[in-house]
Formats: sequence, C-alpha cells, structure tokens
Amino acid sequence: MNPIWLLALVPPLAFACGWWLARRNIARRSGDRVNELSSDYFRGLNYLLNEEQDKALEVFLRLAEYNRDTVETHLALGNLFRKRGEVDRAIRLHQHLVSRQGLSDEMKTVALLELGEDYMRAGLLDRAETLFSDLVAMDALAPSALRHLIAIYQHEREWHKAIDHARRLEAMTGEDESPMIAQFYCELAEQSRQHGARTEARDYIREAFVCQRDCVRAHMIAGRLSSEDGEIEQAIASYEAAIAADIAFVPEILPPLLNCYARSQQMDRAESFLREIMERYHGISPVLALTRLYEGRDGERTAIDFLTGQLRKRPSVRGLMALIDATMDKVSGEARENYLILRDLTRKLLEGQAMYRCSRCGFGAKAHHWQCPSCKSWGTVRPIHGVANE
Amino acid sequence: MRLIAILFLLLFVAAGIVFGALNADLVPFDLGFARLSLPRGGAMLAAVLVGWILGGITAWLGTSLSHRRRRRRERDGSKVGNATTA
Repeated sequence: MNPIWLLALVPPLAFACGWWLARRNIARRSGDRVNELSSDYFRGLNYLLNEEQDKALEVFLRLAEYNRDTVETHLALGNLFRKRGEVDRAIRLHQHLVSRQGLSDEMKTVALLELGEDYMRAGLLDRAETLFSDLVAMDALAPSALRHLIAIYQHEREWHKAIDHARRLEAMTGEDESPMIAQFYCELAEQSRQHGARTEARDYIREAFVCQRDCVRAHMIAGRLSSEDGEIEQAIASYEAAIAADIAFVPEILPPLLNCYARSQQMDRAESFLREIMERYHGISPVLALTRLYEGRDGERTAIDFLTGQLRKRPSVRGLMALIDATMDKVSGEARENYLILRDLTRKLLEGQAMYRCSRCGFGAKAHHWQCPSCKSWGTVRPIHGVANE
Repeated sequence: MRLIAILFLLLFVAAGIVFGALNADLVPFDLGFARLSLPRGGAMLAAVLVGWILGGITAWLGTSLSHRRRRRRERDGSKVGNATTA
C-alpha cells in the first residue's frame, strides 16, 4: 500500500482527536457528568422544601431506579415513605439497605437508625428498642440511638431505664439533661404517691431536687404529699416555693395553696400572699382568688367592688364571667335576660379556648400537661396570657 | 502532570520542525479554483491542525446546541409547572 494513502488518514484522525478532546473538556467544565444526577437531586430537594412530597417522591424514585448505588437517595426515600405514613415500605427499603452487600459500616449504621425509627413509627417498640440498644452497644450513632431509647422508655413509662439512658446521654454529649431527669423522678414520685409509698415518693422528690433545684413540679408534689399527711405548714411552704420557682404556674398552684390556707385558718396570710403575687403576676387567677376570699370574709359588695376595679386594670373574660355571676341576683327583668345571654356567650367563648400552650411546638391544650403531648418536650406547656385566657 | 504535558508538547513541536525540515520540497496542489505549491511537511502539519480545529469546533457546536435545547425545554416545563400550581 502506498504510504501516501496512509498519510491521508491523518487529517480525519486529527479531526476525531480534536472532537473527542473538545467534548471531554466541555463536559468537564459544565459538570455534565454529574449534572443529570445533581439536577434531579436539587429538583427533589426543591419539592421537599415546597412541601410537595408526592413530586419529591417521584423524583427520588426515578433517581434510585437508574442509580441503584445511591444510598443517600434510598435513605431520603425511606424518610419520605415514613413521613407519609407508608411505614411498611420504609421498613422494607431500610431492611434492603441494611442487608445490601458492600455497604460501608457508616451507611449501614445510618440505615439501622432509620429502620429503628420506622419500627417506632409502626409501634413496634420492642424491635426498635433492640435495634437502638445494639447501636448504643456498638457505640455507633449512640447519641441519636440513646435519644430514641429515652423516647421509647418514656412512652412505656419505664422511668428508671429512662433515667439511666438520659444520664448516659448526658455523659456522652455533655449536654445538660437534668431538667428532663428531674421530670422522670417526679413521674416516679407521682407513681409512688398513688400507690401509697410515701417515703419512696419523698426520696424521688429529693432526687428531683438534686437534678433541678427549682423544680416546680417537685415542689408541687411535695406540697401535695405534705397536705395529704396533714403537714399544712410544710405544704404551704412547698407551694409558695413552687410559685417562687416559676410564677407562670400560679393558676395550677393557687387552688391547693388556698385550700391549705383555709385548712389552717390563715386567710389573712392568704390575702397578703395573694396581694403580693398580684404585683408580680398579671394574670386573673389571683384576682379571682382574692374576690372569693373577700366574698366569704367581707361580703359580696366588697368582692364586687374589688373585682370591678381589677377588671379595669386587667381585662379578662374569666373575670367578666365571675362579675356576671356575682351580680346576677341583683338584676331583674330585661336586664337579667341580657345578663343571661352575656353569661352564655362568655361561657361559650371560654369553652373553645385553649388555656395552655407549648412554648416549643405551639400545641394548645385545655388542661395542663407536664410533657407536651405533641412534641414530647418536658415543662414547656405553660398558661396562655390574654383577655380570653389567664 | 503539567510538566509532562509541556514536555510532550515540546517533543511534538520538535518532531514537527524535523518533519518539516526533512520534507521541505515543494508539492503542487490543485484546489480547482487555484493552484499552489507548499512544502510537503508544512502541508501535512497544516492538514493535521485544520482537522483538529474543525473537530473541536464541531464538538463545541453540537454540545452547546443540545444544552440550549435542554435549557429551553426545562424553562418551558417550569412555566407549565408554575401555571398548574397557580
């Protein structure tokens, strides 16, 4: 073959080389290789942020379909399934991830943690507990696993285990968990009190005070114990200490405290205490308590005058209702009819009102809870201050 | 890595110069509309260079056109998405 014909191949070869190199360079510059993947990721993420979980799910499913090695995508998918309530699918997906060959230990641990959360969501607490306990024993993602274990023990009301694990968490992370531990001791104290184990209950209260010196709940349980044991002075001291620890709990503490004052016939002391509280606390509860006290001691006229004066300073629907009730007997005819309508209206207004709200998640409740039923945090449910509430 | 690339480049430039010097005799070319005489080595190197550049331009045009098409499609898609969510 004539070498000149071989040389004729050189320009097309140069063309091919130039074309290939240029393609490679452009692809590298624009990030074309990762573009398909990352654009899908970001689109999925965007849907998630816009709370469009259905669309996000679609994108992530497609992503996992054409890239079966993407562990993160599988984890995100599992999370989405769990959040949508499709726990069985989330469990299957995470189980598949855990059993996958060649997965790094780190990723396997994350998948195990997710699987534990799936079990928790499905109500399979014993399985979740075993899984989280294994993770803690392996010292892998232990703080998260410990938090989940504490949540399980709280749910099962196994307070001793909850305390042990909270202490371990405290030692591991260095975060202060003592307010939560104090609440666990208060739960134990309540249990013991209900079962008549009064000494044990007092021991738990002491432990609660060790964890949190100004634990309102512990003061309140101590007051109740003393009151039930007939130690009125001690009960009054405990209730007063509870108000001193956190004045926001006045509506909760005042009824048993006033009962103790009444039992020990110290109504003057009660009056001076309520007067002092009124200066620091701007809710309606102490006003109503004082009104009742004046009504019993000095007569209805004094009570009404006091209540009217106070309502001008701190307008309140509850106060208004008390005023209507107190003055109802003094009116007749059409005015009485109007009073009745007004009373029904205020009652209905109060019926629909939440009296307490969680400062963490905003959950509204009519009764007080030490643990928020929604976000499960302790001591965050507090009385709402407003015209229609406290 | 960069040093190796520079060395290779220098090697090829040297080879090109040697190739051009060894093939310095003129070769006539008939392009149909014109006739020219070029050194054989120079013509060879020019052909390689032109092929290389043409290849690069073709690749760049192809990629940029497809990118533009895809972007237009995505923009249209997002417009439809916004319209349906609105």
